[in-house]
Amino acid sequence: MNPLSEIEQEVADLIISTLNLEDVGVTEIDPEAPLFREGLGLDSIDALELALAISNRYGFQIKSDDDNTKQIFASVRNLARYIQQNRTDG
Amino acid sequence: MTGIALPLIETGTGDAPIAWHRELPISRRQFLADAIDAASQLPDTPRIVNLCVDRYHFMVGFAGALLRGQTTLMPPSRAPDVIREIADEYGASCLSDTLIEGLDLPTHQLCLRNSLAEPDWPFISSTQPAVLAFTSGSTGRPQPNQKSWGQLVAGTHLALRRFGIHEHTHHLVATVPAQHMYGLESTVLYAMLGPNAVLSGQPFYPEDIRAALAHLPKPRVLVTTPIHLRALTRAKLDWPELDFLLCATAPLDGTLASTAELTYKAPLHEIYGFTEAGAVASREPLRDQRWHLYEGMHLSKTGDDWQISGPQLAQKKTLTDYVESDDGVHFVLLGRRSELINIAGKRITIGELNHRLLSIPGVIDGCFVQPDPTRERLAVLVVAPDLDETILIQLLARCIDPVFLPRPLIKLAALPRTDTGKLPRKALLELIDNVRLSA
Repeated sequence: MNPLSEIEQEVADLIISTLNLEDVGVTEIDPEAPLFREGLGLDSIDALELALAISNRYGFQIKSDDDNTKQIFASVRNLARYIQQNRTDG
Repeated sequence: MTGIALPLIETGTGDAPIAWHRELPISRRQFLADAIDAASQLPDTPRIVNLCVDRYHFMVGFAGALLRGQTTLMPPSRAPDVIREIADEYGASCLSDTLIEGLDLPTHQLCLRNSLAEPDWPFISSTQPAVLAFTSGSTGRPQPNQKSWGQLVAGTHLALRRFGIHEHTHHLVATVPAQHMYGLESTVLYAMLGPNAVLSGQPFYPEDIRAALAHLPKPRVLVTTPIHLRALTRAKLDWPELDFLLCATAPLDGTLASTAELTYKAPLHEIYGFTEAGAVASREPLRDQRWHLYEGMHLSKTGDDWQISGPQLAQKKTLTDYVESDDGVHFVLLGRRSELINIAGKRITIGELNHRLLSIPGVIDGCFVQPDPTRERLAVLVVAPDLDETILIQLLARCIDPVFLPRPLIKLAALPRTDTGKLPRKALLELIDNVRLSA
């Protein structure tokens, strides 16, 4: 597994705790692995939960028309990069 | 039977909007021209699976099919295997506005050419089969339910009057797709058969929904589900003024209902329906827990079964849930009889889920459980000594829609079966609680 940067680890932990992934045996996430479908098997309900958790923690709203939400949610690495570019929590 | 001629759309004035594409209104006249254009493009099969994602495109394809005398099929899921099975069995072709990954069927791409034709307002026979909506049978085989145009028109008129949206234009934003009965009735048909206009997009994240509502004129209505409603009430956003909210698919708990009304400062109406009959009742859960049948509908009891009749039903339909009614027009929902799971508009039975689970090599025993229908996430208990949790989830993901993937997945040495092999729900729920507490 690729090493995780500090923010990537934080995002991975947020995903695991928000979505109760420990319940299905996930305790760590490869930062480059796909999150949805064939990867972790997350779905649209998870996307909604994650968007809420991200806005609460990092102080900005996720939107579908953000240049490509699919890209943003593709992996922990992409999501961490996107959060760093948009966070307003200082 | 020839039926009577019913209008394809409520005309109002031809300039009035029937839909919104972002901030741009689309007139009823334009819609009709587009529908006639679509009818000329549709493949020459008796039935069409309309997979258009954009709600306006779906409406145009649906109306085009009606004009051609074609029936629109509504599969219970967008999974390519399900679409293929239904298209094959019913001799249907597919219509879409996007590419669907993994679907190896010839699919006609809808192409709107901005037709400027000024057609006459068309009529459709009340007996013409308009849609076939599918429920997932307990064997996993989807069961068709046919609705004629007359039934859809009658049912929609009852709903429009119930919600007071039959006289003046209300502007609808929906988080549900058009391809199931709730989505079809509460968005597409409210716009086609009433004076209302619906947003073509399906906004997803709370901020998308806020922006979509803000872009439309008043009075506004949000058509949604418990899952979205829960997310929306937790998002810290300033919401535009709403006239009311519509919610369906699973009954809401009182806390969520009151939070929703506080968040939006607008009344919340819930709709009760089932695929065999469509929407039949509504309630405002904070003012009366009882469901109120649409005007002219009636409940009666035969043996242990409650049957429902009404102007939009060709014959009486047996309710699939346990209910109790004192007066035949109000009822209390006591419990769900069917094993049907409805998550985010996707439908499947526990029976089919268990069948898929037990078909996985290495799974010795197992079952799906829905611990709490309003939290909606399923749990699974499984005996599979040689498979780890991650592999099991991956194998399940190949054969079921991701919204049904279980969380938690609990591995056990044996299921708590009784001497007769039954699985008491109470024992299953206790096991799930224990795992949650120890996590």
